[in-house]
Amino acid sequence: MLAVFFIIIILNFILPRAMPGNPASILANEYNLPPETVKILVSLWKLDRPLHEQFVAYIESLFTGQWGYSYKYYPRTVYELVMERLPWTLLLQGVTSITVPAFGMLMGILAGWRRGTKYDVAVTISAIIVYAIPYYWLALMFQYVFGYQLRIFPIAHALTPGASYSNFLEYVADVLWHLTLPVLVVTLTAYASYTLVTRNSMVDILEEDFMFVARAKGLPERTLMKHALRNALLPPLTMLAIRLGHIVGGAVITETVFSYPGVGYLIYESIMFKDYPVLNAAFFMLSITVIVANFAADLLYAVVDPRIRYVRRG
Amino acid sequence: MVSILRDLRYILIENRMGLIGFAIIMFFTLIAIFADIIAPYNPYELVGPPYTPPNERFILGTNDIGQDIFSEFIYGSRISLYVGFTAPILSSIIGTILGIIAGYLGGYIDELVVGAVDVMLALPSLPLIIILAAYLGPSLNNIILVLAIFGWPGFARMVRSQVLSLRERAYVEAARATGAGSFRIMFRHILPHVVPLVIANIVLSATSAILTEAGLSFLGLGDPIAKSWGQILRRAQVGHALHQGLWLWVFTPGLAIALLGTGFTLLGVAIEEKVNPRLKHSRR
Repeated sequence: MLAVFFIIIILNFILPRAMPGNPASILANEYNLPPETVKILVSLWKLDRPLHEQFVAYIESLFTGQWGYSYKYYPRTVYELVMERLPWTLLLQGVTSITVPAFGMLMGILAGWRRGTKYDVAVTISAIIVYAIPYYWLALMFQYVFGYQLRIFPIAHALTPGASYSNFLEYVADVLWHLTLPVLVVTLTAYASYTLVTRNSMVDILEEDFMFVARAKGLPERTLMKHALRNALLPPLTMLAIRLGHIVGGAVITETVFSYPGVGYLIYESIMFKDYPVLNAAFFMLSITVIVANFAADLLYAVVDPRIRYVRRG
Repeated sequence: MVSILRDLRYILIENRMGLIGFAIIMFFTLIAIFADIIAPYNPYELVGPPYTPPNERFILGTNDIGQDIFSEFIYGSRISLYVGFTAPILSSIIGTILGIIAGYLGGYIDELVVGAVDVMLALPSLPLIIILAAYLGPSLNNIILVLAIFGWPGFARMVRSQVLSLRERAYVEAARATGAGSFRIMFRHILPHVVPLVIANIVLSATSAILTEAGLSFLGLGDPIAKSWGQILRRAQVGHALHQGLWLWVFTPGLAIALLGTGFTLLGVAIEEKVNPRLKHSRR
């Protein structure tokens, strides 16, 4: 995990420096800054120093929030922009990180429990189809149906633009109303892999000898289900760690389709305007979120499976 | 040879999932091959007024600059199939070579490869792919390169675990006893045994390659010159197609992506069922 962190930091250092021009000269061109200001910026960001000194300065600035200025929103700082957007991403990703695995596992459990039935086949086939659906496409189609035709859900933004709220509850209601379509679309397109893994692991467990014995003892269905679940849910939970990263990583496309003002949309905007300082910082924050989410999922796995204990290595 | 034919017959004919998947892929392959004949217009040419709703001259209407969307759609199959095949094949070549070397030789080479694979799999791949595509610049080959960079670890891990068990087999020991070198054993004796599983995974990862290319194009990071399905979706989004009620413009390319992706997954699952020894044993 440290290695992953390290690689992201290194990439963030190398990529902008591999591009033509440096932040100070680009800002100077864009906003006609006087040469004295450029000189101050160059020495402030140590752009005239050798690379290893730049690297030390870069690490220092990374952890103190001195991420420079946005090219597009100058003179606003990158730190301001990213911090303003982060809560929205955390909200959207937090909710979908729960709804996606929950819905996926539920479908998988039901399909596995009734293995071999028409219901099982239908769930499996639809999961394979859903896996191949691009979610921005489903998002656009939902926007068309629920936004343009039925007009029951907003198609963009996290809050009604220009709205004023008389109390906190109204504010929450507006947030949830805007959150509905994005969460629905992400859940409907991302659940499939959980379903397939859960179903297969459920089928495997149901064939185990201990389940056979439990059934022979005449245990009620509810108890049987409990026995099966404790074991069958372990593989999809391992997957949680891997897939959480994918859900969070999908933030760029999800937020772009819904013009949702999170870090992912910020990344999109900064790509379009070649706003490299913002791009780097937003990418850094998104990566940190993914790493933390993965770590949390790992811990959860250790709690659920008593056979796993984390041992400190080397 | 006969057994390969028998496997093919099972995958493509007897297994219904494989048959449907293969049919879908063939359908789009034929469209891609005969695009010049099927498409009524040159997809780059401005053939009508912008934003024409679907009519008998333009089945899906025209886009924001007056190009025929149906022709764009037909030619788009070429891009998706090209990416769907090249990116996973490139990843599989890198991954298989590294996986065989790591699994067979072991030692610190193995540790190095396994470490690299672990790190790559833990990286947040989609944001990284987006950021790399943004820095490398928009071109189809850059996208394929980026996909391969993030695709090889999966292949390497799978091949390595296969090789670990293969290298203990008697026939490998026999080859070693007759004085065959490591290189010869790895690529003459072990490689043929991992190829079927590699092929299954190439087909399976075609789906995500197609989806990622379409996603990047949709974000505006794709090749602006290549007419891909993702590119059509982008033009529709930027041109506010839905706002004007031109929903077919959005519906058709997305449906094609989903269909082709489903085709690759179905075929991939069918092949894997046949060649993965682990799956075969667990089937009762």
